[in-house]
Amino acid sequence: MAEPASRLPSADGGGDPARGVAFHSIGMTFRSERAEATQAIADVSGVIDEGRFVSVIGPSGCGKSTLLDIVGGLLEPTDGYVTILGERVTGPRRDTAMVFQEDSTLHWRTVLENVVFGLEVAKVDKTEREARARDIIKLVGLAGFEGHHPRQLSGGMKQRVAIARALVMDPRILLMDEPFGALDQQTRMFVGAELLRIWEKTRKSVLFITHDIQEAVALSDEVWVMSHRPAVIKDVIPINLGRPRSPDVIESPEFQTHTNRLWELLKVEADKTLGVGAVG
Amino acid sequence: MSQTVALGQVWRRPRVVRWTLIAILVAGLEAVTRGGLIGPLTAPPPSVMVAALARIVGTAQFADDLGRTAFTIGAAFGIGFLLGVPLGVLFWRVPVVARVLEPFVVTLYAMPTLVFYPILLALMGLNAGPIITIAALMALIPIALNTMVALRGVNPVLHKLAASVNCSRPQYYRKVLVPAATPLAIPGVKLGFIYAIIGTIAMEFILASRGIGFRAGFNYRDFNIPEMYAYVLVVVFLSVSINYALGALERRIRRDML
Repeated sequence: MAEPASRLPSADGGGDPARGVAFHSIGMTFRSERAEATQAIADVSGVIDEGRFVSVIGPSGCGKSTLLDIVGGLLEPTDGYVTILGERVTGPRRDTAMVFQEDSTLHWRTVLENVVFGLEVAKVDKTEREARARDIIKLVGLAGFEGHHPRQLSGGMKQRVAIARALVMDPRILLMDEPFGALDQQTRMFVGAELLRIWEKTRKSVLFITHDIQEAVALSDEVWVMSHRPAVIKDVIPINLGRPRSPDVIESPEFQTHTNRLWELLKVEADKTLGVGAVG
Repeated sequence: MSQTVALGQVWRRPRVVRWTLIAILVAGLEAVTRGGLIGPLTAPPPSVMVAALARIVGTAQFADDLGRTAFTIGAAFGIGFLLGVPLGVLFWRVPVVARVLEPFVVTLYAMPTLVFYPILLALMGLNAGPIITIAALMALIPIALNTMVALRGVNPVLHKLAASVNCSRPQYYRKVLVPAATPLAIPGVKLGFIYAIIGTIAMEFILASRGIGFRAGFNYRDFNIPEMYAYVLVVVFLSVSINYALGALERRIRRDML
């Protein structure tokens, strides 16, 4: 079987920058008075087409989350810029929604009150926001837990609350920063399968940060491999596993081919990060 | 077997246990005072204290004393709270200010500020002014320090969340910071209140012309022990009820906590 084709991303080569999220030569250097300046991201270009699920994978500390914060409008890049539907990102937008790695539920609010949080901030009418929240809570499989407080929920359920809180905003682009990173392996697989099911129903554009190869392959249409610091996109691997995709996809030989290839690419970067040098 | 089960159930109802304990202690005190084990100059029987309290409560003088003390405590706590919370926010927002001022604040915390009472009495005269000044200072410090610590302890991911949904500054404070900081900040507020009471009653006791603390001291020096204890009971009642009110406020803000 042929190896999946790979191509280097570019603002004009990968897709239509006017329709999705486009990175225009993003660079990010952190400066502080005490320490030396660190260049986290060197030069990242690429396009996430509308409705595509794109994962960014790379060695830890390579600037993946920084990239996500830039798209979310929480950080301004020191070089280049991001556009969404052709508009330059200058701050957090209504059509992006974020899910974080850590538990970000508001512990003093019930599940329902957590899910409506963004709508409440946006001053959406109470009846409407609660109706929308109840639908999304059903979609993420938390029906019956509307009145529970986060402390009464498991880690996986709390992350589903965070996902529901993002989805209820009906964003064009969902930004997920290692959303399952703090979960144990079994919960992770389970919530990952849930996300796949939800995504098949909503078909949002997704930028998904992870360091888990299998998770990236199982969920994505495309995986971007980031190099270690200063980060560039080393490779873009299209994942041709068909849609709709079931969680059983991980048992297929094509899945193995993709994960093996990603592992080869990542190993080189991981070795650089650890300072070992490439191993044969 | 059935007895151990019953005992287990009793412990699951702390309110019942608490009131039972109080009843036992009061009954015990009644017994030892009536039996002569504790002399009447040390402590009269609780029933005598309550009788003295009943005599006092209706008088105009009591209303005047209670009003004065409530006003003093309220003013001291109010000033301490209204200055302490913004000071804590400032310490959190501008770490340089915290680094410069923290040694002063902590020193003030460790110091019995009461020793300045005579000086302020000389400066401001025998009125509520000196007491309010010192009690407010005593209340302010734990409120400011706890507010700072509570805000520093807010999970950074919540700042990111608030930014990502475009919270305005007032929304950010009201919907995120206040409830997130409440569990650590409220103990500071409670402590501030306790200090306001301690400071007020102690200074009234030392030297004042009116107030519950002054009246307790006056009766103490006059050997009117039942009356003195009656005023002590008033102080106890004041502290307990305010502490309870603050606890209710805390539960209102943080319904998830017990």
